[in-house]
Amino acid sequence: MEPELPVRHSRATLVDLLDRVLDKGIVLRADLVISVAGIPLVGARLSVALAGMETMLKYGIMSDWDQAIRTAATQGQELHAVKPSPLKQRPDEALAAPMVA
Amino acid sequence: MTAGQGIAAAKKDGLYVYCVVCDRGEHLLGPVGLDDHGVYAVRAGDICAIVHKCPAEPYQSNDRQTVENWVLAHQRVIEMAAERFETVLPMAFNMIVQDGPNGNAGESLRAWLGEERDRFTALLDKLAGKAEYGVQVFWDRQRVAEALLQNDPRLRRMRDEALTKPKGLAYMLQQKLAKAARAAVETRANLYVEDFYTRIRECLDEVRVEGLKKAAGGEQMLLNLSCLMEKGNSALGKVLEEIRETEGISVRFTGPWPPYSFVCAG
Repeated sequence: MEPELPVRHSRATLVDLLDRVLDKGIVLRADLVISVAGIPLVGARLSVALAGMETMLKYGIMSDWDQAIRTAATQGQELHAVKPSPLKQRPDEALAAPMVA
Repeated sequence: MTAGQGIAAAKKDGLYVYCVVCDRGEHLLGPVGLDDHGVYAVRAGDICAIVHKCPAEPYQSNDRQTVENWVLAHQRVIEMAAERFETVLPMAFNMIVQDGPNGNAGESLRAWLGEERDRFTALLDKLAGKAEYGVQVFWDRQRVAEALLQNDPRLRRMRDEALTKPKGLAYMLQQKLAKAARAAVETRANLYVEDFYTRIRECLDEVRVEGLKKAAGGEQMLLNLSCLMEKGNSALGKVLEEIRETEGISVRFTGPWPPYSFVCAG
């Protein structure tokens, strides 16, 4: 079986790029810097338009379950006995979800 | 024509920083930066920041195409730097150094590079030869629920029982069944997440759990990971290929990325 190859460099990965470039990377010291990553780059509506492009992924709200995984991961624990918690299938959320700083 | 970065004739007293690399030379990367600005290296000892000169204000715009071009340019410069210098520590977007009380932007930047040298050297060592990959696992929740209703003996019994009862009782039994089915789906979700996460993590040097996001159509995101491993390592690809065989499961696999997720503090 051929191991699958990752996708790179296409419209489909623009959202992945935005996730990284806007939210991650090294941040300069506050006294040096003009702007920090938390400053909204564009108006909220445009940020949603950017984020929700062809790939249709929108910024969502983390569920309890998601939080449990994050906690387990940061504490280096094995992921067992994660407390089941309702994974609500959210109906269409309002499009104007604010950009997470 | 720069949009949202002041008038073209504005003072260029800021330095837009793309990434940090290890090098002792002088470098010009050419007019490849945001708005085609000339990109070059600012050095302190053996650590360089890759920069362009700009007005000391953040890049902001309401025009989608403009923002997209900036973000793509930011990424492109980092990739060029990765080709030239091997390992890079990518900056977040819009990291602009200004003149400070202790000197101009260049002096401030050099001082900062000097202060952070140990931290950067350690990070560059850790990341040498590695790349970041993104893994997102989705499932078709409806499909899995239907399969469970078919195949789980307890749920089947409940369904069959409801069918034989008069209307009022049948309704109550169906409510019970729906509740039991939802619980079975949650249990299955947790099993998948634990199993997939464990198998994926085994292939990696480091992993970061990211927030779940809304997905298109009937799919639901189960897992969103940033993965650090040696470039070209095929172990992860093999595991994802296996995971994809699971009914109702789909996988998005992106990369290699510069290691944005693995240079953050905390």
